[in-house]
Amino acid sequence: MADTVPDEVHVTGTLVWYYHVCPREAWLMSRQLTPDEEDDNIRIGRLIHEESYVRFAREVTTAAGKMDRLVRRDGQWVVYEVKKSSRHEVSARMQLLYYLLQLHEDGVEAVGELHFPEERRVVRVTLGPSEMCEIQNTVKEIQTLMSQPLPPPPKRIPVCRQCAYAEFCWA
Amino acid sequence: MVEKSLYIFSNGELKRKDNTLFFETTEGKKFIPITTVREIFLFGEVTFNSKVLDFLSQQQALVHYFNHYGYYSGTMYPRERIVSGDMILRQAEHYLDTSRRVAIAQRFVQGAAQNLRRVLKYYQGRGRDVENPLDKIESLIPSVSSYDDVNQLMAIEGNIREAYYQAFNSILSNAYFRFEGRTKRPPKSPLNALISFGNSMLYTTVLSEIYKTHLDPRIGYLHATNFRRFTLNLDVAEIFKPILVDRIIFSMIDKGMLKASHFVKASEGIFLNDAGRGAFVKQWDERLQQTIQVRELGRSVSYRRLIRMELYKLEKHLLEEKVYVPFAARW
Repeated sequence: MADTVPDEVHVTGTLVWYYHVCPREAWLMSRQLTPDEEDDNIRIGRLIHEESYVRFAREVTTAAGKMDRLVRRDGQWVVYEVKKSSRHEVSARMQLLYYLLQLHEDGVEAVGELHFPEERRVVRVTLGPSEMCEIQNTVKEIQTLMSQPLPPPPKRIPVCRQCAYAEFCWA
Repeated sequence: MVEKSLYIFSNGELKRKDNTLFFETTEGKKFIPITTVREIFLFGEVTFNSKVLDFLSQQQALVHYFNHYGYYSGTMYPRERIVSGDMILRQAEHYLDTSRRVAIAQRFVQGAAQNLRRVLKYYQGRGRDVENPLDKIESLIPSVSSYDDVNQLMAIEGNIREAYYQAFNSILSNAYFRFEGRTKRPPKSPLNALISFGNSMLYTTVLSEIYKTHLDPRIGYLHATNFRRFTLNLDVAEIFKPILVDRIIFSMIDKGMLKASHFVKASEGIFLNDAGRGAFVKQWDERLQQTIQVRELGRSVSYRRLIRMELYKLEKHLLEEKVYVPFAARW
């Protein structure tokens, strides 16, 4: 699959997600400065990931990252993104749009579905001209951020309260 | 989920039973739920096989083992899981560049001195005569920043500590725990035995926390590195010795929790016996779980977490994001 970004700043779907939740988190993640692994929320997320939709085929790995699931349904490719809650729905939508953009650039037209198993809710996401523009701009922003020698300074936002990076950021 | 430290004092065999641990002694068997174990301290004579070691590595649990006298012998440090190439390079870069290395080493010495001073201040407030050592420490602290050589820094650190030890006999009224100079390998008095044992508990605890970060424990800044031994934990431990180890020692002696029966004479030294180590470890474990408020974070964290945050501060210093300012106890 064609890589649309230079190797040194490899944007992945998860990075798009982090970027929208917290740019600082995305920068740290891109340097493999992973967060506190003992954090309960991280453990829960990992469990949901491992236990949801196990009946179906597992994730698909591409240059754009790991898609939770890619299936052909009613003559159309559908990308799944599974999340613990819809709390960061905007971020999840951007992550999914990024996968759709990658597929599009490889000549595969697909639609996306955000799945919130705990809420029994599915949100459909499509890549139209305005979404295309939106996600392309985001990718540029992320590349600029990643090329910075320092992470953006910590900023107190609601997610800090349960973020696994909090002790790192505020130490 | 709260992870625990497991302390084994008895002799026996550690086994893997399905997906958990199992400790068997002549007295009985005990299952140990592995997912809650962060580290194991072995004080007794324990046999185990590679199946157990493999399992512990998989579970990312460290094993610290001590010899018969309670001397720290070594650590089974599992393969690193949390690795950032970027961080390792920065850690080495700050080691290789003398001025950057000294800048960090100075902060460890300053942080340690500040906390030693805090402990003495506390006892001064309680009417103990610690004025001379306190004056000495206060006069030495400003000079730390003028030393640009790691050996000199180690020396000044030694001087500060020596002044600090002068205060011990004013702090401790129990004659059994008289301080007559620091002796190691072997410790020659009960108080020395306590300091040595407490310090090894701290070194290993810091090591366990380093394992949970991106830092490499072999690259320290104050203590000489030969890239084979762990030294970063020794550096960071300096900050916490006064407020964790020494405070526990003072409070235990003060409350009469330690007696002659907790010590043994052996191999030309004096050591804590199992009962003594057990008593200390109990206080130690409780202290690490005790929480204090961290203003910047907006929540309280345990002393163990405070050690982790100290490592995070160091990471941020290495990233050149924020200059490392050592933890200073406020009481």
